[in-house]
Amino acid sequence: MPAELIKVTINGQEFETDKGARLIDVCREKGFAIPSFCYYADLALQASCRMCLVRIEKMPKLQTSCTITCTDGMIVTTESEEIEKAQRGMVEFLLANHPLDCPVCDRGGECELQEMVFDWGGLEERFTEKKNYAPEKFLSPIVANDPQRCILCKRCTRVCDEWMGEDAIEAGGRGSHTVIGTYGGWLNCSQCGNCIEVCPTGTLLDATYRHQTRPWELSRTISTCTFCSDGCQLSVGSRGGEVMRVVARDRYVNGLNGEFLCIKGRFAHPFVNHEERLRTPLIRYKKGGKLIPATWDEAIRYTAAKLRAVLDAHGGESVGVVGSPRLTNEANYALLKFAREVVGTNNYTATEAFSLVPFFENLGAPLATHKDIRHAKTILLIGGEPEELQPLTGRQIRQAVRNGGAKLVIINSVPIRLKHAASQFIQIRPGTEDAAVLALASKDDAGVAARKLNVEAGALEQVRQHLNDAQGDVIVMFGGELGAEAQSLLAQLSFTFGEKEGRRFLLHPLPLFNNSLGVHDLGLMGGALNPLEILDAAGAQLRAMYVAGSFLRTHLEGREDALSKLDFLVVQELFQTATTEHADVVFPAASFAEVDGTYTNNDGFVQRVRQSIPPIHQSKPDWMITAMLADALGTDFGFQMSSSAVFLELAKQIPAYEGLRYPLLKDESNPVQARHALVGQRDVSAQLVELRSLVEGIEETGETTTQTPPVGHELFKLGTLTSKVPQFHLLAAGNPEPESVLISPLYQITIDPALRDEAAVAGD
Amino acid sequence: MSIIGDVIESTKAIIKGMSVTFAKIPQQKWTVQYPEEPVTVQPRYRGMHLLHVDELGREKCVACYLCAAACPSDCIYIVAADDPRAPTERTGVDERYASVYNIDYGRCIFCGFCVEACPKDAITHGYNFELSVYNRADLLKTKDDLLITKQKQSLNYRVAFADEDVDSEYKEV
Repeated sequence: MPAELIKVTINGQEFETDKGARLIDVCREKGFAIPSFCYYADLALQASCRMCLVRIEKMPKLQTSCTITCTDGMIVTTESEEIEKAQRGMVEFLLANHPLDCPVCDRGGECELQEMVFDWGGLEERFTEKKNYAPEKFLSPIVANDPQRCILCKRCTRVCDEWMGEDAIEAGGRGSHTVIGTYGGWLNCSQCGNCIEVCPTGTLLDATYRHQTRPWELSRTISTCTFCSDGCQLSVGSRGGEVMRVVARDRYVNGLNGEFLCIKGRFAHPFVNHEERLRTPLIRYKKGGKLIPATWDEAIRYTAAKLRAVLDAHGGESVGVVGSPRLTNEANYALLKFAREVVGTNNYTATEAFSLVPFFENLGAPLATHKDIRHAKTILLIGGEPEELQPLTGRQIRQAVRNGGAKLVIINSVPIRLKHAASQFIQIRPGTEDAAVLALASKDDAGVAARKLNVEAGALEQVRQHLNDAQGDVIVMFGGELGAEAQSLLAQLSFTFGEKEGRRFLLHPLPLFNNSLGVHDLGLMGGALNPLEILDAAGAQLRAMYVAGSFLRTHLEGREDALSKLDFLVVQELFQTATTEHADVVFPAASFAEVDGTYTNNDGFVQRVRQSIPPIHQSKPDWMITAMLADALGTDFGFQMSSSAVFLELAKQIPAYEGLRYPLLKDESNPVQARHALVGQRDVSAQLVELRSLVEGIEETGETTTQTPPVGHELFKLGTLTSKVPQFHLLAAGNPEPESVLISPLYQITIDPALRDEAAVAGD
Repeated sequence: MSIIGDVIESTKAIIKGMSVTFAKIPQQKWTVQYPEEPVTVQPRYRGMHLLHVDELGREKCVACYLCAAACPSDCIYIVAADDPRAPTERTGVDERYASVYNIDYGRCIFCGFCVEACPKDAITHGYNFELSVYNRADLLKTKDDLLITKQKQSLNYRVAFADEDVDSEYKEV
């Protein structure tokens, strides 16, 4: 529906604008700078900073332009002596209690208040009375707070409420004694740090970066997050070969996530420069011996000789190649090429938590972008827990419900936190997510499914009815609980409901890793074996294995000794892990901050990863190691030691990436979506029959839990990367409150190592 | 010209030149007998930098990086750090202090911008001017060389009194 156009006069010039547009946005769009602190697009209005004052004709006083909607014939003045006097007065008031300790404040140099004072501040301070004093303190291991510096714009409280749905920080007290605080003095939230990001002053600070350096000292690189599959764009600030901080501030980066990041994206970067990073290639010359540092030449030569021996003795099918959904598309493509051209094997896979191959084979509707989710009218979430595993998707859902009036239907075995935003929440028996899909895909089976799900049949009928009647975008999301048949049926769900005017089905898988979609697109997941099978085949069919990254904890559970049965195991990794324990050769790989490449997120966006620091110690990018190894085995990959050459070849080989080049991926604000082939309507009756029998075989015993899992039960888990951040250990141990909040809890609390191991269950 | 004319001309020139020399001998001498005698420097002379401490001996520098930002020759390198100890035990006056503070005198142009930029009066120009070294790497001075409690002051300078007329000859011009 195109918006009605109205006329607005700003400073004597007439403009046309959409009816219902906000005045401050219109003024800024037309080139009239209006200062503001509290106004923040897409957040609830506050109108407390009173910096955006304008004169509107026929209105008695100066008006806050952030709360005014444009009306036809409105005559606005944004610059006059009267307005400037008011704005200068406001800045003077703001500074009345502000301590002006810019030299020690970490925000100095990128502080909005500082910039505003340059423009609107007076030379002299007339306020000579004593300022309110409050010491700088810690709200949690990663959020530091200096209450004096606060200008009470309440961006943080609104972000916490509206983006995160947590309401963990709130303003307390009255008048000039109002302070931003927490309930109970200690912050027990998901520690996303978005309050830090949006704070215009140095009131809320990143405690991990506190007192480290200055923003102008950092060289900033726009890159993609290396944790979950949402693919948030971030700015990596590095200095002298060290990653100092990660932010998403919109003055530095303008990606699909805006200023949003989660705890992992923002605070889990110290693994990059961690002292436990592998420094040199390591060789275990004798089984059961020690890993001994070696030169690159020696390690490559040794590996090539050993692999050649296995290939000659047992043939290509005896070598397994394992990629990783953590690595760039380039690295995984090089591995795939290595498997196909150098080794000549079909025994390749990636260490992915669950396969989406059946889903992509039957893809009947396009993938939803995060923007689509925000403006969707109906969202169906089956399984998964986006708030913990894909925080950006979680935020978009919440915003869609809160600001867009979307209907959210959740089908989950656990009462997840997102339930509070849902218009319908169906709690099912654990492990019966497939039955829910069956009920949606086939009306006749609803009775059986309802019995297996332990829900009333009417509830599922209601969901069907809801999807049937829906207008606008319908987004179907699903987590890793679904089986192959259920995935196929879900991918074809748009055809089950048929076409309808004004309704569009969009699909949004929720894989766990940054490049999960990439390994599926490349075909690495379409190998002969899956990660579990490849471990089972070790020692039997497989004599040697080449692993980039590591197997997940869930893969190795019950198969701990599988890797020791191999004749020869090559691993490229950042750290010593359970997989490198049995490795014969370990190559030090470069982390995401040290390589150029691309990740594909769960929108299908192919986004750039850029090198911000040179590779640490002797590490090399993964694709380069593979190319060197291939070269030693007699195959020149022709990569010319440049990742753009790898991507060029990848784009020629992979249909979904056809025509993509690095220059086309340059602009992070306009990400390019990979063209996943839509297969159209397919006959899925075979899968339906299969699923029916599968569902009928489900035992009706699973106990449902009524307890909402605590915040951070997935986010704070200690994996290979997150366990390198001391703050995560505190959070994983339950975020204990220290004796004194004036000193960082890191200096006060020593975590029991046993507790640490207990918390370490995630496999990333 | 004849030989006699040459002799007369050159004698004239010598007399003219030497008359200037002899006329200056009884006047005041400006040559400083360095290093036998100390050089008198102006109170605002810009010599080697000094990092100051407060009355408790804590470093005044809070590692705000403003000196490094103001430096036109980019010769100041700082690493900031956090000091969680009690205020009386700290290295610096604030929690934030400079764990590394280097000035590269191979690049410093003694412009004094760092001193002007400092919001805490932590860095000033001292009077030490004998900075020559045998090894170029030694031009890099660390906090150990710069701290006022550690920098050895040269005996070869004396600071002029505020009302002392050190170089009046230039003022006449």
